[in-house]
Amino acid sequence: MRALIRFGKQPRLRFISHLDLQRFFQRAVNRTGLPIAWSQGFNPHPVMSFGSALALGWTSEYEVIDIKLAAPMGRGRVEAAVRAALPEDLPVLEVRMIDDKHPAPMALVRMSDYRITLNGGDAVLSQVDAFLNRDSVMAVRKTKSGEREVDIRPLCVELRKTDDGLFCRLMLTEKDTLKPDLLLRALSDMAGVEPPEARIHRLALLGMDADGAVKPLMAL
Amino acid sequence: MSLSDRIEALFMSVQKPVRYMGGEYNAVMKRPEDVDVRYAFLFPDTYEVGMSHLGMKILYHAINARDDAWCERVFSPWVDMADLMRRNDIPLFTLESRTPVKEYDLLGVTLQYEMSFTNILEALDLAGIPLRREDRTDGPFVICGGPCAFNPEPLEPFVDLFALGDGEVETLQTIDVYKKWKASGLPREAYLRMCADIPGIYVPSLYDVSYNADGTVRAVTPKPGSGAPEVVYKAMLPDLNEVTYPDKLIVPYGEIVHNRIMLEIFRGCTRGCRFCQAGMIYRPVRERRMDKLMDMAEKLVSSTGYDEVSLMSLSSGDYSCLPELARAMVEKFAAKRVRIALPSQRIDNVLTDTLKETQKVKKTALTLAPEAGTQRLRDVINKGVTEEDLMRSVTDAFDQGWSAVKLYFMLGLPTETDEDVLGIADLAEKVRKCYFSIPKDRRAPGLRITVSASVFVPKNDTPFQWAPQLDQETVIRRQQLLKQALSKVKGVDFKYHAPDLSYIEAVFARGDRRLGEALEKAWRMGCRFDGWSDRFRYDTWLEAFRACGIDPDFYATRARSEDEVFPWDHLDCGVTKQYLLSEWHKAQRAECTRDCRKGCTGCGMKRYEGACV
Repeated sequence: MRALIRFGKQPRLRFISHLDLQRFFQRAVNRTGLPIAWSQGFNPHPVMSFGSALALGWTSEYEVIDIKLAAPMGRGRVEAAVRAALPEDLPVLEVRMIDDKHPAPMALVRMSDYRITLNGGDAVLSQVDAFLNRDSVMAVRKTKSGEREVDIRPLCVELRKTDDGLFCRLMLTEKDTLKPDLLLRALSDMAGVEPPEARIHRLALLGMDADGAVKPLMAL
Repeated sequence: MSLSDRIEALFMSVQKPVRYMGGEYNAVMKRPEDVDVRYAFLFPDTYEVGMSHLGMKILYHAINARDDAWCERVFSPWVDMADLMRRNDIPLFTLESRTPVKEYDLLGVTLQYEMSFTNILEALDLAGIPLRREDRTDGPFVICGGPCAFNPEPLEPFVDLFALGDGEVETLQTIDVYKKWKASGLPREAYLRMCADIPGIYVPSLYDVSYNADGTVRAVTPKPGSGAPEVVYKAMLPDLNEVTYPDKLIVPYGEIVHNRIMLEIFRGCTRGCRFCQAGMIYRPVRERRMDKLMDMAEKLVSSTGYDEVSLMSLSSGDYSCLPELARAMVEKFAAKRVRIALPSQRIDNVLTDTLKETQKVKKTALTLAPEAGTQRLRDVINKGVTEEDLMRSVTDAFDQGWSAVKLYFMLGLPTETDEDVLGIADLAEKVRKCYFSIPKDRRAPGLRITVSASVFVPKNDTPFQWAPQLDQETVIRRQQLLKQALSKVKGVDFKYHAPDLSYIEAVFARGDRRLGEALEKAWRMGCRFDGWSDRFRYDTWLEAFRACGIDPDFYATRARSEDEVFPWDHLDCGVTKQYLLSEWHKAQRAECTRDCRKGCTGCGMKRYEGACV
């Protein structure tokens, strides 16, 4: 049996790296007192996996961790135990019990929704329609292996202006990924300005059901 | 923008922002309006170092157990952060509430190491607190405790109070007195005078120092009418079972130096090694009961989620029922997959079998500290270890599957000769032979011997407080001598450092009030994080001494006469000067003193109520 837990990352903790967060959860699951399943092998560790890494400096209300239990447990007890083991800046938002055959969250993620709050973003916002009207927008993505030019337009599923910035739905798969900071850079380049000060917040991780309908990860 | 937002705006531009983030699990949050006293606790080094320190955890817990006070943490910002804070007008802040340190009532600072002194000045300056006590008209009182508080004189111009000895009770008393003082409406000086009545608290401003023509101290005396005691006795808690211990520990997000549960099994040490300051100033030995320790460990395991418990003390192998304790812990926590880190020297066979059954024994390097290369010199320093003991320990370890040994030594110990130094290489060779004496099919492959030789720093409140530090030229020559000798022993890795850092450490270890000016000068010239060898600037230090007309040799390499008055003589660390002197005499005769568990050696601790019963 596994527990699928959605939690938030509040502003105060947005500078914890993904690696540090993983280490943090190793100890946090010990604190829950739940019957956690441990891996076999030379260096046993609690069996758990994350939905998708969040970049340093971003906040979220849709981080997902999948923890394997060695014995069946009720949802309510799991939720209470995990809540008590996490600091208030990593709030537990939703818990679902799944069976062992359920795919790993990482394998289900297709897209992610973000809220981008801008400070002095008028020039960027003025480019939204132009961006949407184009078939192709080339941008330079920096990766570990160097810089690569990619067409980001098809990777942006949805983009619209909000009261204080942007809402966007971006592809997030192993093959096709667009991060909101790169989108912001592309819009800034189109406007001929430096990227404005921005706060990036993940609203949801999304996957697709058997009929191809887009749904939040926790609902799949 | 709020201060918190302005701080966070710097996080993308600094190394390791988790150092400044706060918000860790088990960090204590209170509402400012609910408490009477706000206490900022500074560890004058990086977050990773400070968060690994047990003393800070103990005092954080003790203060926060009170409803009327809130203790919050401060660490030295690394140089990148400090520069950015200055450029953006951000004052030094606490991690919990991100409040400027200047707004606190009390600022506690722990003095673990002389080479962190410039970081204290840096912290005061970043906080916007005037460095010198006499220039402060408001802001927190600065209270320093920890081992270096036993010779605090170089910090005298900057500090209001020094707390000597066990901190758990005296720290709370400074808070009680603060509340009284605050209610009284009396001037700032009145708080200092009121604190002079607390056992263990030394108020430096209430003392005058006079000097002899040769520059040595003539006397340190209480100012007339100040009511300050002639001698300040350290605070000593006779029974640690009655003393508060954290039931929760802050669990950091990033990696720190010691990221595990630390369980203090006893305080003090009975061995009486003559070079060791901790072995003198933390007396007497006070053990925690096994049932108490088991209970503490259980609470901490469930409140932190750590998977490792380390048994802490100055010499854990000496805990009177170590095998029982270790076995009970291992059995109790095996199901929770919690490892127990044990002192490797004392692993007896029965215990090893227990460990084998229940948990994987990590065969990290066996660490031994013979400290000196010949029996004569080991007798001089009263390191009660014989060559036979050492050979038995390493042979046992090799037989049980260890293949890496670390040997720690000191160079420049009093009476050391070239022969003693070459003895280190002999010892390494003998360790090698022990390894090859184990049949090939029984020993683990890949013998590694690491020999580390640090430079001896004579410390106050030890029998070697009269001894000169060996001059740097001779240290360097002996390092080379040893290096050459060790190059003939196969499989040995030799580690040593330039002696200049130890030289500055020696200056401050036995320094007096006049050094405060040089300390400030060095800080103004850019010295900070001096204990980090990549940040240490020897030339700048020498320049600072020169500018202040101070001869550092006077403090470091000068032999003291037996009747010299020391700058710390008015501070009683538990062990008497008379006892230290008799130990100094015995050292020169290479005569050993027994472990006082085998019979009292008359060190002076019995003058303290409840000690050694």
